[in-house]
Amino acid sequence: MKRVLFSLLVVTLVLLTPNAFAQFNTTGTTTVSVAVVAEASIRIDTPTTTLSTAGTIFNDYTGTTSFTYRIRTGKDSGTGNIQLLVGPDFSPAGGPSVGTPPSAGDTLSYNCTVSSSGTACTGPLVASTTTPRNVATFGANARSTKAGDSGSVSWILTNDPVYETGTYSATVTFTISAT
Amino acid sequence: MSLTVKCRLRWFGAILFWAFASNADTLSTTQTLSVGIAPLGKLSVPSTISLIAPGTTFSPYTGELAVSYRVRTTPTAGGGLITMQTTSDFSPSGGPSISGGALRYGCNGATLGTPCSGTQTVPGTAQVTVLTVPSGVCTGGGAGGCSAADPNSLQILLNLDNDPQFQTGNYSANITFTISAT
Repeated sequence: MKRVLFSLLVVTLVLLTPNAFAQFNTTGTTTVSVAVVAEASIRIDTPTTTLSTAGTIFNDYTGTTSFTYRIRTGKDSGTGNIQLLVGPDFSPAGGPSVGTPPSAGDTLSYNCTVSSSGTACTGPLVASTTTPRNVATFGANARSTKAGDSGSVSWILTNDPVYETGTYSATVTFTISAT
Repeated sequence: MSLTVKCRLRWFGAILFWAFASNADTLSTTQTLSVGIAPLGKLSVPSTISLIAPGTTFSPYTGELAVSYRVRTTPTAGGGLITMQTTSDFSPSGGPSISGGALRYGCNGATLGTPCSGTQTVPGTAQVTVLTVPSGVCTGGGAGGCSAADPNSLQILLNLDNDPQFQTGNYSANITFTISAT
């Protein structure tokens, strides 16, 4: 009788124990899932932009910085933007300055272009060393090409006679974001 | 009734028979047993796998899929295959597309048989072979052509484009693996 009861116990345990082993069959199906999220990246294609003047004396210095960006914003309520910030300012001292211009009205300003995935800034805008300034904005469901879309910033630097002759350089940082 | 429940009921019957029969008188007899061992293959894959992109922006989504299998092939002129086939493309629309060539695969770490080589694009709906099993092998036991591992395993490395053109959202597709043995 004990043996019968033991056997019934074993059988009960076998029947009730969850299957600890994977199910083996001649076929098996896997659901592959992926969550595609908002992303953005930017590459500056003109690492060094030389501003130059031409034509009439004391014409402004001009030059163009090109960039390529990839962006994907949220389908329903996403946004994105590209901004620029000057810093460090022009150096050495004695020449142009974005943060502390030697004469009132001296500026580093710019106009923008971007591909149809975004909306370019309405320039000219004045660059700053303290506040990021707009280059482009993106609405919901904005998507660039796989290789990236193109854009540019055309610079205009005041040619003030007060600047000492010399070569001056500043750094501009471009930032892209997407939600 | 599922196969698992049937198996458990057979065990139930066998144990009950043993329990009651052990109280009966003992008899001796001779019985000739014969069995036909047929080639066979079975596999198991996880029901879901999530592809994840590492930190860098727009880097591909990747994932590793473990296929477990048991196989026995005929010693002469036998063999086996594990194939992979897309049974439904990513949905909803607006995201990645297997038929558009967005998904690639590679094979690695087969404990029995020869895995596919290199990285290849998953075709739309065509079957592709991810593992080839030679003749005269089997899973488990570690002797006589049988592998020490039981079950055997194979890693499928999946790599999905991260195209900015994909709309944000959650997408899923189904891939079916099939094993055959002769």
